Amino acid sequence: MIPPKLSYLKLNLTTGQSIHIFWRFLFLTFISFFLCYSNLFAQEKSITGKIVSALTEDPLPGVNVIIRGTTLGTVTNLDGEFQIVATPSDILIISYIGYETQEVLVGDQSEINVLLVEETTELDEIVVIGYGTQRKKLVTGATVQVKGEKLEQRNTTSALQALQGQTPGINITSTSGQPGEGMKVTIRGLGTIGNASPLYIVDGVPTGIIDYLNPADIETIDVLKDAASAAIYGNRGANGVILITTRQGRPGRSQVTFDAYYGVQNRQKKIDMLNTREYAGIMNEQHLNSGGSTSNLPFDLNDLPAYTLEGYASTDWIDQMFVENAVTENYVLGANGGNESSSFSLSVSYTGQEGIVGGSSLSNYNRYGGRFNSEHKIFKDRLTVGENLVYAYIQNNGIKVGNQYYNTLRGTFNTSPLLPVYDDDGEFFNTADKTILDQHGDPYWYDQEANPYASMHYNNQNDRNTQKLLGNLYAEINLFRNLKFRTLLGVDYYSSESRSYTPIYQLSVYSFSNYTKASQNLEKGLGLNLDNLLTYSYTYNAHRLIAMLGMSVQQYNGSWIYSENTDLAFDDLEHAYMNNATNVDNPARMKIEGAPHNEDKLLSYFGRVQYDFKETYLFNATLRADGSSKFAEGNRWGYFPSFSAGWIISNEPFMESTSGFMPFLKLRASWGQNGSSNADAFNYLAPIKFTQATYAFGSVEGVSINGAYPNRLSNKDLKWETSEQLNFGFDARFFSNMFLVNFDWYRKVTKDWLIVAPVYATAGTDAPYINGGNVINSGGELALTLNGSTGGFNYQLNVNGAYNKNNVTDIPTEDGIIHGATNTLYNNSSEFYRAESGHPIGYFWGWETDGIFQTTDEVQQHVNSEGILIQSNAKPGDLRYVDQNDDGVLNDLDKIDLGDPNPDFLYGLSFSCNYKGIDFLVIANGVAGNQIVQSYRSHTDKYANYTTEILDRWTGPGTSNTIPRVTNNNVNYKFSDIFVKNGSYFRISNITLGYDLSTLFKVRQIGQIRIYASVQNLCTFTKYSGMDTEVGYGFDNGVTDRFSSGIDLGYYPRPRTILAGVTIKF
Amino acid sequence: MAMKLVRNIFLGLVIAFFGACSESFLDTIPITEKTDGNYYSNPEEASEALVGCYDALQLIYSNGVAFPVAADVMSDLCFGGTGAGDGDGYPMIDEFDKNVSPSDLNMYEPNWENYYKGIFRCNTLIEKLDQVDWGKQEDLRFEIEAETRFLRAYFYFDMVRLWEKVPLLIKPSRANIPQSEPDDIYTVITEDLLFAIQHARDKQYSQITSTQHGHVTKWAAEAMLSRVFLFYTGYYGKQNLLGLVNQADALGYVEDVITNSGHGLISNFADLWPGASTYEAAKAGKPIDENTYAGETNKEVVFAIKYTYTSDYNGNTDGNHWLVMNGLRKMNWPESGYGYGWGACTVIPEVYSSWDTSDARLEASIMAVVEEGIDYTMIGDVKEYTGYFTKKYIPLCDADGNSIASELGGVNFMIGQYQDYFVIRYADVLLMAAELGSANALDYVNLVRTRAGIDPVVSVDNGNQTSHESFRAKSIKAFHGKCLVILTSLGTEGKAVLTSSSTGLESSSQEIIIK
Repeated sequence: MIPPKLSYLKLNLTTGQSIHIFWRFLFLTFISFFLCYSNLFAQEKSITGKIVSALTEDPLPGVNVIIRGTTLGTVTNLDGEFQIVATPSDILIISYIGYETQEVLVGDQSEINVLLVEETTELDEIVVIGYGTQRKKLVTGATVQVKGEKLEQRNTTSALQALQGQTPGINITSTSGQPGEGMKVTIRGLGTIGNASPLYIVDGVPTGIIDYLNPADIETIDVLKDAASAAIYGNRGANGVILITTRQGRPGRSQVTFDAYYGVQNRQKKIDMLNTREYAGIMNEQHLNSGGSTSNLPFDLNDLPAYTLEGYASTDWIDQMFVENAVTENYVLGANGGNESSSFSLSVSYTGQEGIVGGSSLSNYNRYGGRFNSEHKIFKDRLTVGENLVYAYIQNNGIKVGNQYYNTLRGTFNTSPLLPVYDDDGEFFNTADKTILDQHGDPYWYDQEANPYASMHYNNQNDRNTQKLLGNLYAEINLFRNLKFRTLLGVDYYSSESRSYTPIYQLSVYSFSNYTKASQNLEKGLGLNLDNLLTYSYTYNAHRLIAMLGMSVQQYNGSWIYSENTDLAFDDLEHAYMNNATNVDNPARMKIEGAPHNEDKLLSYFGRVQYDFKETYLFNATLRADGSSKFAEGNRWGYFPSFSAGWIISNEPFMESTSGFMPFLKLRASWGQNGSSNADAFNYLAPIKFTQATYAFGSVEGVSINGAYPNRLSNKDLKWETSEQLNFGFDARFFSNMFLVNFDWYRKVTKDWLIVAPVYATAGTDAPYINGGNVINSGGELALTLNGSTGGFNYQLNVNGAYNKNNVTDIPTEDGIIHGATNTLYNNSSEFYRAESGHPIGYFWGWETDGIFQTTDEVQQHVNSEGILIQSNAKPGDLRYVDQNDDGVLNDLDKIDLGDPNPDFLYGLSFSCNYKGIDFLVIANGVAGNQIVQSYRSHTDKYANYTTEILDRWTGPGTSNTIPRVTNNNVNYKFSDIFVKNGSYFRISNITLGYDLSTLFKVRQIGQIRIYASVQNLCTFTKYSGMDTEVGYGFDNGVTDRFSSGIDLGYYPRPRTILAGVTIKF
Repeated sequence: MAMKLVRNIFLGLVIAFFGACSESFLDTIPITEKTDGNYYSNPEEASEALVGCYDALQLIYSNGVAFPVAADVMSDLCFGGTGAGDGDGYPMIDEFDKNVSPSDLNMYEPNWENYYKGIFRCNTLIEKLDQVDWGKQEDLRFEIEAETRFLRAYFYFDMVRLWEKVPLLIKPSRANIPQSEPDDIYTVITEDLLFAIQHARDKQYSQITSTQHGHVTKWAAEAMLSRVFLFYTGYYGKQNLLGLVNQADALGYVEDVITNSGHGLISNFADLWPGASTYEAAKAGKPIDENTYAGETNKEVVFAIKYTYTSDYNGNTDGNHWLVMNGLRKMNWPESGYGYGWGACTVIPEVYSSWDTSDARLEASIMAVVEEGIDYTMIGDVKEYTGYFTKKYIPLCDADGNSIASELGGVNFMIGQYQDYFVIRYADVLLMAAELGSANALDYVNLVRTRAGIDPVVSVDNGNQTSHESFRAKSIKAFHGKCLVILTSLGTEGKAVLTSSSTGLESSSQEIIIK
């Protein structure tokens, strides 16, 4: 194969790449440093000691004392005493059930006495709630916490990806496998047809996405699932809240950590398309089935047209698009520590991920990050000040992963294998080039098809970088004994620059560019929030009360500028800047646009009361009032109350009998309301559009004068969307905390959706947001955890599952339906998904099939109860559709619910264990009860290629009852259940095996040198035939239509990754 | 000491923070947009909004199937055509049979949407005219209203002919409006045009400044109303237009245009059409850029949809997006200046062969592949190839085969086409006057005939006089989106029944008593 002669394919060492190389160098330096350093001399000696409890100072018998990295060890006697032989470089591991394990360096000591601290149980852990923290034991809402380590150990580029399958009730789906593409996160079912994303709060700062965070920078993720927990964030809490706390310093031992991994990614599954011989055969068959004659068959199978010297082509376009062994890598260097008055946590990181489609020059993601967190106590603990700052520089480029017209992979499914990638001159093959002839002197047979590989190269030359600074400055003062004031100034700043380049090219009659073009644009935005909180805690006997009063001000400003011009002085992406674009006299090819983003302001007041009696009877109430600039005066304020209560029933005397096997049982109940203001600004006004409204009066071409028109209707009554949720649950622990059970049941009603319900075409302009539409999500969540430890072998098994039922109860439009987009599956395809009362949001709507007509008789026998022939035009081999209403006519009234893309059941599984420095982890997750609509082929393009599935088509009576005959048109591909596939899957998403080398090399100061190897997406058990079963793509029509998903039009699949890494702590 | 200070500062801040933010914090205003609250306040804004209505005129044919193309395809002049590999949407329209292309569900949907966009803009402007502070420019108010109402009538007239019973809105509304009866729609069209006749600018052609071409004139409104009269009375078999306009009124309007507008025929028919004029230049052995094209503001143009090449894919719709459908499929023929097109409306060979060869309109209207010596190599790529394409609205290329639209600066040859659509020419006005029974009917018809280089007729068929062949000729009605049936009496008394039928359409009959 001859490589394309294109200058942009040359490797240039850019700034990004040199930084990247710097990290790899650093990584190797570290490794070699430790290998040298570890070579120490050792001298054995005998050591004695005593182990006592730090709390009671009682001696502890039966404590394990083991020399790290060996099986040598002993156990304390009844007086807590032990004796062991060790070298000065040995580290003693002292462990005892219920107490924190300690490690002691022998050094020159001959007597080692140790105070063992009792382990705080999980129940005493602190979880993050809105504007504060709470002991897990006392939480009354449905919240879940995931520790940063759990995310980090999955070695994913994005933290959300790592969260997948770890917590019940949170559905996380990739929208595309392209590096850096977003994830679709839905908590407890789709609550709206608009934007159903949860609210993200990072260190107290609200933000829209968290892609910029390195999973290693995250200490905890707390998800507030029920309304009572999220109500304190009333304004945007309707879809749940995800609270992220970045790593904080702690007083105590300082630590430096270095993490690195490097891996390669490959596609998990291949899709087979027809090769040239098969394709030509099918085309001939199609021709004959559509009334063509044998005299003018499209192809002579014994003399296929060849356009290059290599003979006829049989290109596997899908293969052509993918690359092998795309690199993924990550390096994080962190430090944290502190003393009683100051603590800090810092990190720098680099993450790189290459795309498996097109490779690093076309689909790539690089992230450079830094984190600076510190906290200082001044004036004798009276005043605490601190800051959390995360900075990220993200550089990415990508191929198109959108709708059928904006999807680079899509074309590969429809291009004939006859098309060669390159012509005899080594140039990309151009089907419109009439000078390229086959052996019979004819030009390329189909000049409307474009080389998809070349098209990917020509049309995806772009470069984008985004800088993000997110963080806060805070101060907390103890005003009086129990009264604290906390103020926090949060910043969420981003700026983004992107450029693109289009060369002059032609690939077909439709795919061409007559001139070189560059675009350059800049965008920035600044979100600020100022929170002020007064917290008062009061304890009287066993009564404890914490009252909080707060206010928050938020505002967002931003602006963008976009420019585009043609006729570049230099023909490549590197030079694609406006100053190199020489066009000055052609206004149609020149574009300069810019505008501010609409200002968005929020003013909020809120309060909370937390009360408990004897840590047994728990009660919480919150109220938040939010005013949003998005609504007209009079509709601005929304009020969001919540109540929740808990009863730790295991504290009751009457439960004493069960406390042996069930030491803890808490019952919880909560109710609350949340709001959403997910609408564009100024919907209460009708804007007048001044651009793109010109008319060419006069006699000179190209000269127009400006016009104006109202381009949207107004809605003065627009107000908050409300979500109301009831939650019941319990948390239980069995057998000395070995076995944990959490269960929740919920019912979430979302009403007064903020939606852009389509208006009739007769309205003549765009629709505004309206309030309307209700949906009920109800379901249950269960999480089980089993912890165990025997003879140094520790293990943990987590199983979680969630069931959700989604049911729309009201749609405010005349026909009670929010219609899905048309033209989505292929050119001119009809509507196939919608939101309608009595069905889940986004259900698939089409005809039910009942096999295939095998004979003409069967066609004639397909009649309704009155004997009316239902499919008079059908031929043997066509699909038999069910006439649901028995009226003898097939139309929209016969279309039914064929499934929906939202899983009924989500589950996850993880098992981890460790034994003497070896650790092992398996994570699996799955979904069930969801459907995927698969449409790889453009059925209205008769020359589009097929997958090899078509080889099992109907060719005569008895040949197939599932795949219809082939024809030149889409007669069998009007939307029916043959597009709808079962999307259930179970996937082994991660297997990791690690080993701590420090058990072999005894190195002073080094806590851990763990090396590990991991496989991601090892295997997936599914019936789905696509390249990836996790299809988060849905048609996003901007504001009007965002609720579809599970549409596979040629989906950028997520890779299978094999990686190895090292973690060093010292 | 320091402690106290800090405490006091914070206490101060607490009070400040909790109290300082008032409701007015939440007030925001749009920066780059005006709103309906403050717009339409002065004459300049009203004029600007009028341009927005004209902009919709560029929009209505930009997507879906343009009325001028659809009308030709549906006529007995053309097949659907387009590419061999394309869908069968155009043949479906041609054959009036849904089964020809089951996948084309809503071919006219974009047109439907765009017509209502235009109507919404007009309705909004008409409604807001009262809130404009006109000052001393009260006349301008009526002129703007006249043009706006003409445009609204234009949109409805297209729609009532395409779909007949369409929802009728004369005020903006987001309600679900039921279908209206055709008479109600024609009433609005007629009243709008009557208003336009009364108030639109009435400058003579020679007085119109070069930048003002394209605005609706009194003459345009008069000619349009006559056309509506003829269509309505002919199609519905009525004597007059809903009691608002009778035949004498209609004739009076076109006679007024003929007498007072200053419009006239240009001398060479081919000069009206870019493709015809480049062909004529080539035929005379001259370079194609030395053609004698009369331009888009020549005196024969009474009203045109003005297009230019500045369309893009980001919302600017300024070009003639439908023109690329016609013309030579997928090949340039630089010898005659014919540019790359999609080959819709392949002309039925009989139309060409039955046309009087001495008629200058033949060569100007039809691109005859063999007869013109075009070495056309893409025959296999044309659906329903006949050897004839249309010529009046086709893409052009220069002598090197480059698209003129792209050369001028268009994004590409598909949306960059700029040729205006001549809605009403002076020749139409003459023929309408003849049809309406003008005393000068014979002169008018012969003006058109002699300009085309054919012999004058001695009398014309217009209802009052003896019928002659002129109205039967294809050349009268070619490629204007109009269809005409001529019944010739055999001289015997009795009843003649004309039944028109087509696959997929309801048949219709007309009884005529011959005495």
